[in-house]
Amino acid sequence: MKQLTSVIATGLALSLSLGAQAGTLEDVQKRGNVSCGVSTGLAGFSQKDENGVWSGLDVDVCRAVAAAVLGDASKVQYKPLTAKERFTALQSGEIDILSRNTTWTHTRDTSLGLNFAGVNYYDGQGFMVSKALGVKSALELDGAAVCIQAGTTTELNLADYFRANGLTYNAITFDTSDQTRAGFESGRCDVLTSDQSQLYALRIGLSDPSAAIVLPEVISKEPLGPVVSQGDDAWFNVVRWSLMAMVEAEFLGIDSASADKAKAEGNPSQKRLMGSEGDSGAKMGIPAEWGYNIVKQVGNYAESFERNVGAGSPLKIARGLNAQWNKGGIMYSSPVR
Amino acid sequence: MKEFTPLPDKPAPNDVVGIIPWLRENLFPTPLNSLVTLAIIAFFATLIPPLFDWLFFSANWSGTTQDACTNKDGACWVFVIAWSKQFFYGSYPVEEIWRINTCLLALIAIIIASFKLHKDLRNKIAIPLFLLLPFLSIILLDGSLIGLEYVATDYWGGFTLNVMLAAASIIVAFPLSFLWALGRRSDMPFIRSVSVILIEFFRGVPVLALFFMGSVMLPLFFPEGTNVDKLLRVWIVLTLFMSGYMAEVFRGGFQAVPNGQYEAADSLGLGFWQKTLLIILPQVIKISMPNILATFVMLFKNTTFLLIIGIFEMLSTTQTALTNSNWLGGHSTEGYLFVAVVFWICCFSMSMISSSIERKLDTSHRN
Repeated sequence: MKQLTSVIATGLALSLSLGAQAGTLEDVQKRGNVSCGVSTGLAGFSQKDENGVWSGLDVDVCRAVAAAVLGDASKVQYKPLTAKERFTALQSGEIDILSRNTTWTHTRDTSLGLNFAGVNYYDGQGFMVSKALGVKSALELDGAAVCIQAGTTTELNLADYFRANGLTYNAITFDTSDQTRAGFESGRCDVLTSDQSQLYALRIGLSDPSAAIVLPEVISKEPLGPVVSQGDDAWFNVVRWSLMAMVEAEFLGIDSASADKAKAEGNPSQKRLMGSEGDSGAKMGIPAEWGYNIVKQVGNYAESFERNVGAGSPLKIARGLNAQWNKGGIMYSSPVR
Repeated sequence: MKEFTPLPDKPAPNDVVGIIPWLRENLFPTPLNSLVTLAIIAFFATLIPPLFDWLFFSANWSGTTQDACTNKDGACWVFVIAWSKQFFYGSYPVEEIWRINTCLLALIAIIIASFKLHKDLRNKIAIPLFLLLPFLSIILLDGSLIGLEYVATDYWGGFTLNVMLAAASIIVAFPLSFLWALGRRSDMPFIRSVSVILIEFFRGVPVLALFFMGSVMLPLFFPEGTNVDKLLRVWIVLTLFMSGYMAEVFRGGFQAVPNGQYEAADSLGLGFWQKTLLIILPQVIKISMPNILATFVMLFKNTTFLLIIGIFEMLSTTQTALTNSNWLGGHSTEGYLFVAVVFWICCFSMSMISSSIERKLDTSHRN
């Protein structure tokens, strides 16, 4: 018994890591990696491949922060989290950033002790129905059985939309998106509702994708973004500006291939973002070349988008709302100066 | 006097030996039975050819991406083959995988040794090694204590994790549950009530609820900035859950030991611990062995529940693989079938081992 207690005590001592009081930025610099909460698997946003390498739009936010703070985008410790665990993990300090397709809502922002650092994907909730149902609009869905994933804002939006339009529905909840899809495919429900980005991924996974259509209605605003703990402004700034730098780089026409050129001989605003002019890094307590490291190693927002969810990926999601503000979207970054 | 010699045995009549009489006797004795036999044959005849065709003949075996699965009428085993490293080893660094293999080989070696070694050596070598193995494995896999490259638990995963967690839990749960069971039978009110509360709590709460408590609630109770590794929390939860069940198994064993054994030990002048450890415990273990092993198989399968709290054991690795945007073609049947087969093979070999242990321990109280 004595041996047993000492083994357990050693185990506890091994894995106890004290910190966080000092400020997340210093912790991250001392530890040498960014601890990042991601989804256990969401096509295009955070996914693991056969070799255990993480990629995705949400993952790229973590990589950008690692590139900005540590100069190396690969120094990320990924913590896969389920929807229920994610806020606890942030509150308890287990992760530094939560980048897990999390919708920015008033309740979450004000009552959970956390801050949203920006938006990396503007999403909205939509409906997928099987073609055989012959439905053309969500307003024809009175009395439908709806498959939804439990514990997400999707559930509340659905209730609001159906009540506002005087429709009834029968909710069938599942715990993961995979189960939701299986429920839809086996015919347990007529409609599957989820964020549109996920609908496209779920649709590819159906045994016959062409048998299902995504309805045109978007019934909610779902701004997805990275989240940090409340009360650590230095870290909040780093995360917010890492995200901004990717959007700003696209606006300024810098991508990973032209980052070196922009740094050496770009126009003043390019040079300021790349860190060859001004002291934007020093103001945040991170290396001067933070912007350059992000763009060089992770790419600008357009590259990240196309690689993970856009034309360069199997999902083929159009830019839509996520295009730059001067190209029909609402992606807008404040200038670096 | 003429000696009596019996006539040689006559062969059985022709209409009761051979295949056809056997068939008539066993499969077609009555019209109803004949009908059932024919129905079952028809069922298999329609089911098995397409199943084998899907499983083997039309299946896609070679390639590294989803596009290699050109024959849509067959299973896409490319998916399982491409992800096999993840399924078995998780994201553990490739150049360090020898550590996992070492641990698994050691486990197999110890199991074989405990069957082959002489009884005295077995008790002195195999059993202590078996008890130490999970901790040695954890030290080796972690690496930081013995100067190897540190591998954080975030990279551990796959089937290895199922095996390691199950083994590490059972080995700690074994002595713990024995103490709880002893406590429950104790005359001292404090010890008894504490044991009863512990046993009934961990036995009465669903293991999923315990996992959620471990992963969502527990971190909030720790002081600010203190992090206990998620895997460690889960291991503790599994161990306590297991102890609750095993304690009841042991209690059953205690009750099955005849009172005469206790009295005989008392009359020899043995103290409480001598009596318990030398006389009662061996008999309890012998009696409870089938239940202990059944509980272990249950625990082993319960490790797949960890997918609901985002730990990449084998089943949740499969789910993750299914959501990768390059593998969205609906391979869930292949993936889950593979997991099922792997678990079935393991559980079946465990029940083989368990029945052989039972035979070995059988010193017969049957008279």
